[in-house]
Amino acid sequence: MQDWSKLYDAIVDGDDKTSARLTREAIEAGEDPSILISATMVPAMAEVGRLFEIEEYFVPELLLAGRAMKAGLELLRPILAASGVEPTGRIVIGTVKGDLHDIGKNLVVSMMEGAGFEVIDLGIDVPPETFIEAVRDKKPQIVGMSALLTVTMPAIKTTIEAMVAAGVRDSIKIMIGGAPVTEEYAREVGADAYGENASVAATIAKRLCAEAKAA
Amino acid sequence: MNRSFYIDLANHGLKMPMGTDIVLNEHSDPEAIRIDGQRLGEVMIEAARRYRTPLALPQMNLALEKEALLVLMGLDGGSGEFHFSTPPTNDQLARFEAGLKGRLTPGCEANIEAIAHVAQTTDLVPLGMCIGPFSLMTKLLADPIMPVTLAGMGNSAADNAEVALMEAALELSTRLVLEIIGRQIKAGAKMIVIAEPAANKVFFSPKLIRRGSDIFERFAMAPNRKIVELLRENGVELFFHCCGELIDEMVVAFASLDPAVLSLGSSRILWQDAALVPRTTVLYGNLPSKKFYSPTLFTCSQVSDTSRELITRMREIGHPFILGTECDVLHVPGCECTIKTKLEAIMEAVAV
Repeated sequence: MQDWSKLYDAIVDGDDKTSARLTREAIEAGEDPSILISATMVPAMAEVGRLFEIEEYFVPELLLAGRAMKAGLELLRPILAASGVEPTGRIVIGTVKGDLHDIGKNLVVSMMEGAGFEVIDLGIDVPPETFIEAVRDKKPQIVGMSALLTVTMPAIKTTIEAMVAAGVRDSIKIMIGGAPVTEEYAREVGADAYGENASVAATIAKRLCAEAKAA
Repeated sequence: MNRSFYIDLANHGLKMPMGTDIVLNEHSDPEAIRIDGQRLGEVMIEAARRYRTPLALPQMNLALEKEALLVLMGLDGGSGEFHFSTPPTNDQLARFEAGLKGRLTPGCEANIEAIAHVAQTTDLVPLGMCIGPFSLMTKLLADPIMPVTLAGMGNSAADNAEVALMEAALELSTRLVLEIIGRQIKAGAKMIVIAEPAANKVFFSPKLIRRGSDIFERFAMAPNRKIVELLRENGVELFFHCCGELIDEMVVAFASLDPAVLSLGSSRILWQDAALVPRTTVLYGNLPSKKFYSPTLFTCSQVSDTSRELITRMREIGHPFILGTECDVLHVPGCECTIKTKLEAIMEAVAV
């Protein structure tokens, strides 16, 4: 494998155009897409996560890096799909019914994609039945839900209860997050994990996914 | 009301949660009240009386202005999901301008009529309330952070479509906010609460700001300076509210608006922020009311302890201060009793 450290830098610097150009060059050079992702792109996003944790980076830098990662991934995905390479895991994600705030959720999507997950983003204001339908159709290992407001947070509980009633709860791991959400609340409503921020969420998702696959 | 009125209130130990939404939701038909100016005014009065404050605060419903803006443009105002993907058309802009001359949406009109009701029927000080232009803009775009960041990295509207869209949306937002505030002033508002929660470090990279970018001034502060001009022309004071996570430079920028009251979120340490804010600005806050719903996350005794600490520390440094909440205390179904007990704890708090 060639040295693709400039691609790594492009992602860390949030330069989507350079990321796309270098990914194209890597494809043309015959690099194995899954190795390019695991050896260069995922570590780049991990570094972005680290910089965020130490407050060297902030949300805007996280989003820029996510965009740069995506610019490369979009070129690699068709090749990966054609060669039957599986993603790290599959996640269905959305903000719960009544909540229209998606910045946090979008950050989590970026970090999850950066960690090699296939993310099915249901968007905002997602009713329980849409989550249930997505679990049945897409067969994810993880469902992620977020709420920004205390007034919309109870919809997390409602959605989990609906999943239990629909008989799909046991087939997935549930992660929740959002400004008013806490570890304690996650336990209270029967979620499997709470992600304090997008970077942490990606790390937890990897663990949950490994547990789900092992079960 | 001149500035000394608010400073005197602070110096006399006023305590006041933003509790209008709580009072509103105790009624059997809150949604009907939201569009009935007179009844909404009665709720403002009820909240002010309950929390023993001469300041009659409106509800902080920051969805009203987006709805109004979309309706005025002939778009679906009921859909909170709508975002502009291209700049508004000339036809939409013409409709918007024409619409500004007439009645706004029922929710906006009710807020204005509520202020008039308070002004005409009580001796309370009626406050107006409006979302800040920057925060309104962020609701109009699917991804408002990226264009702000791109602008901070040197992209202009002329060479970047995302920046151009953001600037167009910000201009519209500013236009609408100024119109609403103007109407609230005519209705009798003596002070206007500008809620600008998005002017924070999620939307504005501290990294870019510290490297010398002027994005915070250009996009968050400049529209608010226009509001300040309008308020000054009318002898009305500013109550500036931002509960987002901030860096010191942002607090200093807010203080430069010379608000009568500056309300900050619970992530700030008010007795330290006092050094960034002139003594002619009352600091308000900043109990973590977003956690009040939970009996354990922030307990009633923590409310009492934190209230006591805030009052004591602020008194020690001698900065005018009103004890209150970091934001509008929202009604959370099933948690009414927990929240109410904590609001009572605020009212009972005394210095050590």
